[in-house]
Amino acid sequence: MASEDEISLLVIVVDVNPIWWGQQGQRQPEFTLSKCLDAVMVMANSHLVMTRTNKLAIIAIFIIWSFIFFSHFFDSRDEPSLGSSDGKYELLSVANDLIAEEIKNLMARTQVKGHQTDTLLAGSLAKSLCCILKKCLAGQDMKSRILVIKAAEDCALQYMNFMNVIFAAQKQNVLIDACVLDSDSGLLQQACDITGGLYLKIPQKIALAQYLLWVFLPDADQRSQLVLPPPVHVDYRAACFCHRNLIEIGYVCSVCLSIFCNFSPICTTCETAFKIPLPQMIKPKKKKLKAAN
Amino acid sequence: MHIQYEVLLVVKKVRQRKQDGTLYLMTERIAWGPEGKDRFTVSHLYADIRCQKISPEGKAKIQLQLVLHTGESTTFHFANESTAMKDRDAAKDLLQQLLPKFKKKANKELEEKNRMLQEDPVLFQLYKDLVVSQVISAEEFWANRLKLSSTDHFSSNNNKQEVGISAAFLADIRPQTDGCNGLRYNLTTDIIESIFRTYPAVKQKYAENVPHNLTEKDFWTRFFQSHYFHRDRINTGLQDLFSECAKQDEKGLKSMVVQGVKNPMVDLLSLEDKTLDEGYGSLTGPSTSNSSKTVKENSNSAIIKRFNHHSAMVLAAGLRKMDTSSDQASETSSTDGNSRDSDTFQPPIKKVKLQEAIEYEDFQNETGPKTIALKLKKFDRYSHGPVPLQSHHYSTSQDIISSVSCIQEEMSCYKPCLTQVMSSSAASSAITALSPGGALMQTGAHQTVSQLVPVDIQSELKHLYTAAGELLRHFWSCFPVNTPFLEEKVVKMQSNLERFQSTKLHPFQGKIQREYLSSNLISHLEEMIQAAYNKFHAWQMRRMMKKT
Repeated sequence: MASEDEISLLVIVVDVNPIWWGQQGQRQPEFTLSKCLDAVMVMANSHLVMTRTNKLAIIAIFIIWSFIFFSHFFDSRDEPSLGSSDGKYELLSVANDLIAEEIKNLMARTQVKGHQTDTLLAGSLAKSLCCILKKCLAGQDMKSRILVIKAAEDCALQYMNFMNVIFAAQKQNVLIDACVLDSDSGLLQQACDITGGLYLKIPQKIALAQYLLWVFLPDADQRSQLVLPPPVHVDYRAACFCHRNLIEIGYVCSVCLSIFCNFSPICTTCETAFKIPLPQMIKPKKKKLKAAN
Repeated sequence: MHIQYEVLLVVKKVRQRKQDGTLYLMTERIAWGPEGKDRFTVSHLYADIRCQKISPEGKAKIQLQLVLHTGESTTFHFANESTAMKDRDAAKDLLQQLLPKFKKKANKELEEKNRMLQEDPVLFQLYKDLVVSQVISAEEFWANRLKLSSTDHFSSNNNKQEVGISAAFLADIRPQTDGCNGLRYNLTTDIIESIFRTYPAVKQKYAENVPHNLTEKDFWTRFFQSHYFHRDRINTGLQDLFSECAKQDEKGLKSMVVQGVKNPMVDLLSLEDKTLDEGYGSLTGPSTSNSSKTVKENSNSAIIKRFNHHSAMVLAAGLRKMDTSSDQASETSSTDGNSRDSDTFQPPIKKVKLQEAIEYEDFQNETGPKTIALKLKKFDRYSHGPVPLQSHHYSTSQDIISSVSCIQEEMSCYKPCLTQVMSSSAASSAITALSPGGALMQTGAHQTVSQLVPVDIQSELKHLYTAAGELLRHFWSCFPVNTPFLEEKVVKMQSNLERFQSTKLHPFQGKIQREYLSSNLISHLEEMIQAAYNKFHAWQMRRMMKKT
C-alpha cells in the first residue's frame, strides 16, 4: 500500500482521431468511440478510488489540423459543487460529467481541413509532460505515469519530436504505458522500452476495459509483484538514409554521421569524398623461362 | 653434485638429530657429516635456504636452524662446551653474508611468477586450465609473459624515487621520561638517515668517531646531550664534540644569507619588523638599529635563526641528489651555503620569473585550432526515424468527410453508460488471454539461454573460452610462416589444439548432454577450432606442393 504522502498521478492520453474512429464505427459498430470512452472512464474512476491521494488528468489528442486539446486535473481535494445524482462518490461523477461534456464540445467544433489524417502524438505527450511538471513544481513529489491509448497509425514525420519527448520523460522518471488498439506502433514500443513502461496490443477491442484494469491500473511498484505480459522485443535497428531500409550492418560517414547501406565514394549528405583502400595486388612472380633448347 | 667448493668454515662438535658431527660451510652450500664418516648426510645449497634462525640468548642449548624454501627445516646443535657460542655466532655471521648473494638469483623468477598468478585470477585460471591439465607446457605459457615483466622491473629500478625528509623529524623523536630523571629517545633508521641527510656535518662526525672512538649508542647520547641539539645554543665553550658543527652551521647560514634568493620578484630585505612597541603597528621610518634589542628579543632571534637554518637544511637535503652528480646537473645548487656557486644560472631563471609575472595566459588572443564548418545538403534525412516507408491507406476526401460527420453524430448524443461497458464473456476471455499461459503471455515462456544454463556451467564455459582463445592466439600469430621456428610452433600449436579439444571440450559436451540441455553451447568454439584446423591443413598442403 502506498504511504499517505505519496501521490500517484495518472495521465491518460486518448487518441480521438475522428477519421479513424468514424471508419471504425462503420467497420465494427459494437466498438465505437463511446465504448472506448466508457472504458477509459472506468479506468479513470478506478484510479481515483485506489488511494485518496491519487490524481488524474485526461488529455484527448487530436489530429493535425486543429490544436484543440482538452486536459483537466482531477484531485480529491477539489470541492465538488454539485452533489451526485446516483449516490456515487462526488469526485467520480464530476470527473465523468466533465469528460463527457468536453469530448462532445470537441467533436462539435471539428471542421474538416485538408487531407492529413495523422494523430498528433508527440505534441500531446509533450503537453502531458508539461502538466506533470507543473504539478511537480507546485506541490510535493509525486510519481507520475502516462497511459497512451492509441488508435490510428504512426506518423513518421513526428519522429524527432517524439524521441525528444521520450528522453525528457525518461529524465523526469515518468513511465509511458501504451495500449494499442489497431496496428503496432514502433515509436510507442521504443517509448515504453526506454521509460520502463508496458506496451500491449489488444486482440479484442470490446474487452478494452478489462485490459486496462488488469494491466495498466497498478502502478510501477506494484507491477513487480504481479505477473503481467512480458516486454516486447523492440527493433532498434537504424534505417539507412538512402532507402529507409532497416539495416544491421552499414556504412557511416565520419563527418556527418549519416548511415548508408552501400558504400558510395561521396557522402550524399555532406559531400565528403571517401576512399576505401583496396587490398594490395600481389604481382605474380615472373618465372624465369629457360631458353628453349 | 659437487660444484666447485672451497671450505670457508669448519665447526666441530655440531650435533644434528642427536648425532655428533662436523659442520662445513663452503662457497655455495652448507653441509654436515656425522663423526667418523666421510660423506655428508645433510647438504643444502645457499640458494635453497630461505632464512636462518638462532636460539635466543638465555637458552641452554645453542642452536642454529635453517629454513628452506620448501618449508622444511634443519637444526644444528653446537655442543662444544667452551666455544659453542662463538662457533654458532661465527657460523651465523658467515651465513648472513653468504645467503643474500644466492637468494636473489634463484627465486626471483619463481616469486615473480607466483605474484603474477596471485594478482590476476584470469591468468591463474588460464594457467590451471592449460598447464596443469598438460595441454601446453609451462615454458610455453611463461614464454610471452615473463618477458614483459622483466622489462618492467628493469625500468622501474632505474626510476626509483627518493624518499623525502619530513621537516619535523627531529620533533618526532619525542623523548619519554625514563622514570628517574632521565630521558629516553627512540631513534629509528629513518630518523638517523634524515639527520645525516640534513646535517652533513653530523654525518661527518659520525664517520670520524664511530666505531673507532665511540659506539653508536654513545654517539647519539652525546648528540642529544650536547647543546648543539637543544634549543638554546649557547656555546659554553666546552670541548663538545659538536661545537665544530655549530660553527660550521653558522658559517653556512651566513653564506646563505649573503647569496640571497634568485627570484627577482621577491625582495627579502624589505621584510623587517619595524614596530613601535608590541601591538602598536609599524613604523614607516628607518628602523632602529640592532643595538637596542632586549634580551628576550635576542633569544627569540636565536630560535628563529635555528628554525630558518633547519628548514633551509631540510630543503637543501631534498634538492641535493643522492649520488654526487656533476656540476652541470645541479640547477639549484648552493642552497645549503656549502657547495658550488650558481651565478652561471641566474639569467635564465630570472627571465622566466619575470615572464611569469607579466603575462597571463587567459588574456592572450584565442588561437585555437582552425576548424572547418560542417556543410550539410539534406537535413531532412536526420529527422526521419527508422520507420520504413510504408504505404498508408490513403483516405479520399470523401471518406474523411463522411467519417467525421459520422463521429460527430455519434458524439452529439453521447452519454456515459458505465454499467454496461463490456459483457462478462468478453471480460473472461480477456482474462484468460492475460493469465500465465494465455495468448498474450507466450513470449514470457521463452527464456534466454543464460536463464536455462546453470551458473557453474556458464563459468566453466567462460574458462574454456579463455583457454581456447589463448591457444588460438598463439596459433594464428604464427602465420605467415616465415621461419623454421614458426613452422615448429605451428605444428606444436596444432597438436595442442587437438589435445585441448579431446581433453577439455568433449568431456564438457558430454557433461552438458547428460544434463539434458538441448542447445549445443560449444558450437562456436568448435567452429573456431575447425577454422584453425582448416588453415593448418591448407598450409600443410601448400608446403608439400612447394617441396615437390
